[in-house]
Amino acid sequence: MLVLLSVSFVFAPQALTQAPPRHGIGAIRGRVELRRVATAAERRPGVAELGSPRGRDLPDLRRSVVYLESAPRGAFEPNEGGRAVMDQRNETFAPHVLAISIGTTVDFPNSDMFYHNVFSLSKTQRFDLGRYAAGHSRSVRFDRPGIVRVFCEIHSHMNAFILVFSHPFFALTDAEGRYRIENVPAGTYNVVAWNEGTWSDPKSVGVTGGGIAEQDFSLR
Amino acid sequence: MTVWRAAAFVACLGSVWPAGAQTLPSEPIALAGGRVTIGGDVSATYGSPDPGYFDYTDYSHSALRLLRIDVSAALNAGEHVTLLGEVRTENLGKFRPYAAYVRIRPWTKRNIDVNVGRVPPTFGAFARRTYANDNPLIGYPLAYQYLTTLRPDAVPGDAAELLQKRGTGWLVRYRYGNPALDGGVPLVSAFRWDTGVQVHAGTEAVRATAAVTAGTVANPLFRDDNSGRQIAARLELRPVAGLIVGGSGARGPFVGETAARGAVGDGHDREFTQTAWGGDVEYSRGYYLLRYEGIVSDWRMPIVRPPELTLPLRAVSTSVEGRYKILPGLYAAARVDHLAFSHITGTDAQGTLPWDAPVTRIEIGGGISVQRNLVLKLSVQRNTRNGGRLEPRETLGAAQLLFWF
Repeated sequence: MLVLLSVSFVFAPQALTQAPPRHGIGAIRGRVELRRVATAAERRPGVAELGSPRGRDLPDLRRSVVYLESAPRGAFEPNEGGRAVMDQRNETFAPHVLAISIGTTVDFPNSDMFYHNVFSLSKTQRFDLGRYAAGHSRSVRFDRPGIVRVFCEIHSHMNAFILVFSHPFFALTDAEGRYRIENVPAGTYNVVAWNEGTWSDPKSVGVTGGGIAEQDFSLR
Repeated sequence: MTVWRAAAFVACLGSVWPAGAQTLPSEPIALAGGRVTIGGDVSATYGSPDPGYFDYTDYSHSALRLLRIDVSAALNAGEHVTLLGEVRTENLGKFRPYAAYVRIRPWTKRNIDVNVGRVPPTFGAFARRTYANDNPLIGYPLAYQYLTTLRPDAVPGDAAELLQKRGTGWLVRYRYGNPALDGGVPLVSAFRWDTGVQVHAGTEAVRATAAVTAGTVANPLFRDDNSGRQIAARLELRPVAGLIVGGSGARGPFVGETAARGAVGDGHDREFTQTAWGGDVEYSRGYYLLRYEGIVSDWRMPIVRPPELTLPLRAVSTSVEGRYKILPGLYAAARVDHLAFSHITGTDAQGTLPWDAPVTRIEIGGGISVQRNLVLKLSVQRNTRNGGRLEPRETLGAAQLLFWF
């Protein structure tokens, strides 16, 4: 229940007012340290399979998402419809985490020589793209903010996250955990880091026009 | 006692699951850095009473009133060796070993595996997906579940005796062999795995499997009960994504040594064989999944006295199944099944009849995902049996809740 509350609070557009923007824009940067890196979902034991399973790639679970818990007024203009890609390759969704704004359409190409079946039963967006072969792609447009867990019906170890924001103030960390949120209107904001279903406590960060605010996170 | 056993199982799960987790597991439990994985399937089924015994899997278990818990595990002991096992309990009885084998991959870069122990079924398509999660309906295909009147440990003395038992496969007794009442066998058992050595090789497009085991497809065994082994093989083609075409064959001595000796004396048990041939096709695309499976099984039984059995005793099964996803997390499914039997001639009063009563089943149903790994299924099946002393027709409803990780 706690988790659900925090999810809805974080992503709901109603929570948009915090500090009125001052003149100028700045940026927030920092690093997310993962005290414990989540482990990739294992295959089910596959006792009924006649042979060994084929090799697969392991998803990169070190990528975190840092975002403003609330955003300045005027930050919620409708997105004109960007596009993003979540590939299915070697029985793995790549990337494992996508962070997008509402209105974005995500393409799910199948780059494997066998079927996948992407679906989600998340409250934010339920969809099922059915089975399609290599070289084909299907798309979903995400119009509501929230967290969408994505799975493959055929390969139960395949899973991914899509974080849908109602504002543009978020960033994905790089391989070293560094992030940078650009074009943040001057003001004071609560900033949160997320990794594999774990949230940091919100940190209050002041952004000045032309300045770069520093904020590091540590996730257990 | 069974309550304690169930409690111990739940406690066991809890002790290995991360302390912070507030929900039931949704992924396999990984231990020792992923070298050990443990998965589970739990299905609880409750359905209409079945006085015609259409859905019984043995004398005391109906597939429509069953709580089944499977726990499977894989231990990766290096790049060449994996140990795999599965235990199962039905209606909170004893946990019994269902699978226990070692998988050896002699060359890591070649798709060749050797399985030794209680190995997955080589024959057919359905036998390896009997888990509730893989079955879109609640009932099983007739070929894998419906109990015919043949037993490996007891044999009829003549055609008249076999015809007299038509439609009573859930509990049958014969003159020779084991005198106790017991259930007959299905064409192919989905409820036990055979023991032996199996070799599997293949590519993405072609896969082949061959095995030498102790029992037969109808009567898988842990210890052999006669002097012969079964040889089984399967070839599977996957010419395009979504299409699987398979062919299987198996042959092995069916009748146990004691029953054969009782009927015709020593040294003949190898002659009383089960030979089965199967063909299966699966095609899926988008939201559709279609499956066909046909099986022909021939049994050669002892001929003791007139009126003689007309050998082989043949059973032919045909099964067509379809599933369509209506919405995310909601699907509808249907299966049509028929079992036919070859004719034999009994007494003048009996005449010439199929050696067991032909059965037809039509099952429709569907499932809704409460969450990804928690599914509620509902189904209705209409069973018709042409002959025998039991109920000739039954309409049975059932609900099943299944959970897997």
